[in-house]
Amino acid sequence: MAPYTNIPLSPAELSYLHTSLSQQPPLRPDGRSPTQFRPLIAETDILPSANGSARICFADGTEAIVGVKAEVEKSRLAHTVPSNGEAAGQGVLGLGKGSARDVGDEMDVEGDESGGKGRDAWLEVAIEIPGMRDDDALPVFLSAMLTEALLADGGLKDRLWINSRFHWRLYIDILLHSQALSYPLPLLSLTTHLALLSTRLPALVSEKDEDPLFNDDWEASTYLYPPTTTTQHQKPPVTLLVMSVGATILFDPSKQELAVADSVLAISAAQSSTGELRMVALRTIDPPSRLTAAGVPNVLNTTTGATGAQTLSAADVLAMREKDQGQSVWRPPRGGVPRALVAKMIKMVVERGGVGEEVMEGLANVET
Amino acid sequence: MQADRRRINVPSGGTAPPIFAAPKDTPIKRPRRTRKPDEHRKLFLQTGVVPSASGSAYYEIPPQSPQEQELLVPSSSSLKITCSVHGPRPLPRNAAFSPNLLLTTHVKFAPFATRNRRGYVRDASERDLGMHLETALRGVIIGERWPKSGCEVVITVLEGEEDGWWGDGGGQEGGRGGGWGMMGVLAGCITVASAALVDAGIDCVDMVSGGVAALVQDRQDGKKAGREAQMVLDPSPSEHEEIRAACVVGYLQSRDEVTELWMKGDAGTQVEALVDEAVKAASLSRTVLAEAVREAMELKMGKGLERANGEQKEDKGKKKDVVMTG
Repeated sequence: MAPYTNIPLSPAELSYLHTSLSQQPPLRPDGRSPTQFRPLIAETDILPSANGSARICFADGTEAIVGVKAEVEKSRLAHTVPSNGEAAGQGVLGLGKGSARDVGDEMDVEGDESGGKGRDAWLEVAIEIPGMRDDDALPVFLSAMLTEALLADGGLKDRLWINSRFHWRLYIDILLHSQALSYPLPLLSLTTHLALLSTRLPALVSEKDEDPLFNDDWEASTYLYPPTTTTQHQKPPVTLLVMSVGATILFDPSKQELAVADSVLAISAAQSSTGELRMVALRTIDPPSRLTAAGVPNVLNTTTGATGAQTLSAADVLAMREKDQGQSVWRPPRGGVPRALVAKMIKMVVERGGVGEEVMEGLANVET
Repeated sequence: MQADRRRINVPSGGTAPPIFAAPKDTPIKRPRRTRKPDEHRKLFLQTGVVPSASGSAYYEIPPQSPQEQELLVPSSSSLKITCSVHGPRPLPRNAAFSPNLLLTTHVKFAPFATRNRRGYVRDASERDLGMHLETALRGVIIGERWPKSGCEVVITVLEGEEDGWWGDGGGQEGGRGGGWGMMGVLAGCITVASAALVDAGIDCVDMVSGGVAALVQDRQDGKKAGREAQMVLDPSPSEHEEIRAACVVGYLQSRDEVTELWMKGDAGTQVEALVDEAVKAASLSRTVLAEAVREAMELKMGKGLERANGEQKEDKGKKKDVVMTG
């Protein structure tokens, strides 16, 4: 099933929007500049029983709530093959013989010098959109995009490692609290970013490989993304929706603007220790403009008294429409996004003083 | 995820693929990439394999070199994808009016396609691949010529690429994962779906071809010092120790446009170079695509001309032109 088939705009309105957005500078329906975001309301730590939580309301009424919970889980040993061809310590079923007493006896999983100890499976993102099943196309696509952005730099999953036998499993539950009026990806991503910034894990008291024991005092808990250290990847990534109309690039598109987009990209950017942004994931999103109906030119329109519908053959009609190329009446866009435009969009997000930095700074100032 | 309730399932999380003990003197070597960084593996592409579908195609990346080791498990996996296109066909009566062709894509891994068995019910990663493929194809199909119609693209992956070498713990749970095998599969899916669409005769703007490129970091001769990120196109994930970033592109060569772009990982400053490499890979696979489609068309035209000439003998003076669509 195609998403967002209910676009209540006629071909004339679509053509008008497209033309006004293609101007230099573009005229957006609400009068914003191309890189201006709509105002939003954000708050964190709203769920007392979750490790971290956040809520963001956009100006068009859509609202999202994210709760982050962490659970200690026993690690499964990976089955590596050392050079002599035998995998030691595998036991009968190949599941390993590790128990609480075998501390240090087991052959360790080959840890990398760069600290690649985390596993992708330790993070689980679940998205709930009202009115959709969890295996519909949209929630699956959104959760895949958010998951790969979070796992891209490797910093998050490394922080979930406790010792060689246990790790934290992080559950991020995203709830879109209102109907999906426009494509919800940036809303969900910003809310996840805020929730992760406020997530705290209890402080570890045990040492090395013994069963983990934590400090009961919640005040002693550590932040998952420590606010003041200089380690790498100190902030979770943020996903922005960028659309293009002709040569114009627009940020934070509203539903009407998406209905005439030539192409839509979702760009995830994360901040490194030096403060500069890097792109960690990118996906093209099928623009809803491809689902719109083409307009009928005057020559073929019987209501204007033209006789083209009767006199012209099917081949002539087709030739006429192709020659017109959507200039006189609206036509859904064809083809993809030009390569130069992709490069420009990425640059606008990650450059110094660009849109990505603005968004990150805005979110950093949210008080709990 | 919905559990498959119609079958008796394997225990969840309880099985692992077997690791066979090798004889003492047989070394298990990790496969290494022997081709140049900008050289694509040989492809096999043929259309018209499913006679009952409107269009179909089969795509394979066969194993490139003969297996040197005497192990039961092959060192690197190949890729085998089959695609069938049904349509354009009318939508069911109770469906809402649609002014454009309604495209549905369905990607499924066969249960035996990867080292860890996949079930019969589509899981989240397969649905995600289906969404990507739909994005890639929707840009090329001229949907406005087919109102109230639907087109279904069904892809079955008979053997999929693994995320990493099985000796490392493979993809999935044990190894570092990253889902890199999926990106190679998507590139193949885009190419094979494009061939099947041409075979079905659906109006398209251009032929879209899929290409994948990656930024890899390999240890040079066991030293950690020689770690430089290298850009390679058409990566086989089992040949590399660490893939830092990868990019899949669905590329339209005649318009120089990109319908589908999926990039994962940290590419630093080389983002544009990575996209350019993937576009190069897509151009290379497009030559195979064009050749396969041309051969199929010549075959069809040869048969069509025979039929037309045959009828002309009986039917005086009435010429029949073979109309080619697509």
